[in-house]
Amino acid sequence: MVDWRLFEPLFEFARKRSLWIVAFCTGCGGIEMPPLMTSRYDLERFGMMPNPAPRMADLFLITGYVTPKTLKRIIITYEMQPDPKYVMAHGSCPLNGGIYWDAYNAIKHLDKYIPVDVYIAGCMPRPEAVMDGIKKIMEMIENGTADGWKRYKENYEYYKKNQDELFGEGWREKEARKWIPWLMDKRREE
Amino acid sequence: MLETVLKAFLILLYATFVGFMFMGIIRIVTARIHRRVGPPIYQPILDTIKLLSKKSNITHGLIYDFGIIYALGATILALMFIPLGSISILRAYGDLILITFLLEIPMLGIMFAAMSSGNPWAGLGAQRALLTLLAIQVPLGFAIVALAEFYGTFSTYQIVMAQQSMGWSITHLPLLLAAIAYDIVLQAMFGKEPFDIMIAPGEISLGPMVEFGGKHMGILQIQHAIALFAETLFFSNIFLGGAVITAFASPILNTIASLAVLLIKQIAVLMIAIFIGAIFPRFTIDQAARFYWKWPTIIAATGAILAAL
Repeated sequence: MVDWRLFEPLFEFARKRSLWIVAFCTGCGGIEMPPLMTSRYDLERFGMMPNPAPRMADLFLITGYVTPKTLKRIIITYEMQPDPKYVMAHGSCPLNGGIYWDAYNAIKHLDKYIPVDVYIAGCMPRPEAVMDGIKKIMEMIENGTADGWKRYKENYEYYKKNQDELFGEGWREKEARKWIPWLMDKRREE
Repeated sequence: MLETVLKAFLILLYATFVGFMFMGIIRIVTARIHRRVGPPIYQPILDTIKLLSKKSNITHGLIYDFGIIYALGATILALMFIPLGSISILRAYGDLILITFLLEIPMLGIMFAAMSSGNPWAGLGAQRALLTLLAIQVPLGFAIVALAEFYGTFSTYQIVMAQQSMGWSITHLPLLLAAIAYDIVLQAMFGKEPFDIMIAPGEISLGPMVEFGGKHMGILQIQHAIALFAETLFFSNIFLGGAVITAFASPILNTIASLAVLLIKQIAVLMIAIFIGAIFPRFTIDQAARFYWKWPTIIAATGAILAAL
């Protein structure tokens, strides 16, 4: 077999220079995403591309507050991404709840549920700040410290415990079956 | 025997590299049209390396893996039949219908893989892609008929040679009409904007590509690069005169010159596709089917009738 460790610097360079973003706009930060992609702060210079499919995404931008209902989708999307995957949390809401610090319906620490590699403070952060965060994550990929995906694998019990504490045991099945009674009622009415 | 294998390998290498450069050119030119800087030209190569170096991979069964390989293989086979200047290995057999057929096979391979993934978006994209494939057949068929009628042969190589004495195909009115129809069809074959209904980013979440991640997507990128090269090469061969350069004494110089001439023609074909793609919004699938069965069909059929007269 070929020893692929020899090519690791090349792979790291490619990973650094072609981060594909999964277009998952949570909260107000969704507004700050289009200016990053368009002609003023053109992110495609760094080879980044917004991508609607989680299967081919590398970088997951959490752009704003996260409600438990969204967090279920975020966890499922995060687990769908193939392995070297990085999470960047935008703004102060994923960091500590932000202005929703006393809301019953917003997540205070995103890092308890999925591993975050880079936080950007601000409400909302300017596109320059987001680009600074992207530069930071590129450096971290280069020296191998952006290891959120490794931490998620190694400490899966911790993350799963936190997720189950919030949503209750078996939330994936419950979420998938949620609409079945409603659909059955609809069919009976017709 | 060994020489043929070596030649095939070199053609493949050249086509892959130039195809990746074409993908980079598409992204840069689109960015410049939007007043952006755009990625470096080697960006698709980096994307492919990254996708191939993913540490985890998903698969949905045998057909899911096979469809991708099938698409790549069909594209490579199509490339081998198209005359590339003076070098090509199967050009004696490269007739128009075969190449046109082989250039559409990759879409079927992608469809196999997408349908077997069980993702509803992929299924939806596959249906749209098959309808597009059905819609482009009619103008494509008429354009091929016009060419065959005009030159009296189906062989691509003989058509290239005939154009050396008779002038480019697009200088004759019937073939100009066929070329216009074929160029509209190319837009759908590239998956560029007015007819990118099967991929439709933002509308149905990448269509058939939605489940491909990691190595599957990496192989699809390579396939897309070779397909871009093969389709532009086929167009420049049958309509823009190909390239048979005999000006220099040494055969190597002749080969390099003909490759350069072909490259310029291919980039010209590509640029038209990019400019149209950057300024037109997407059709819905019923509009696209109706469009293909109306205007390009009328144009190509007129060309075929004129060629037969």
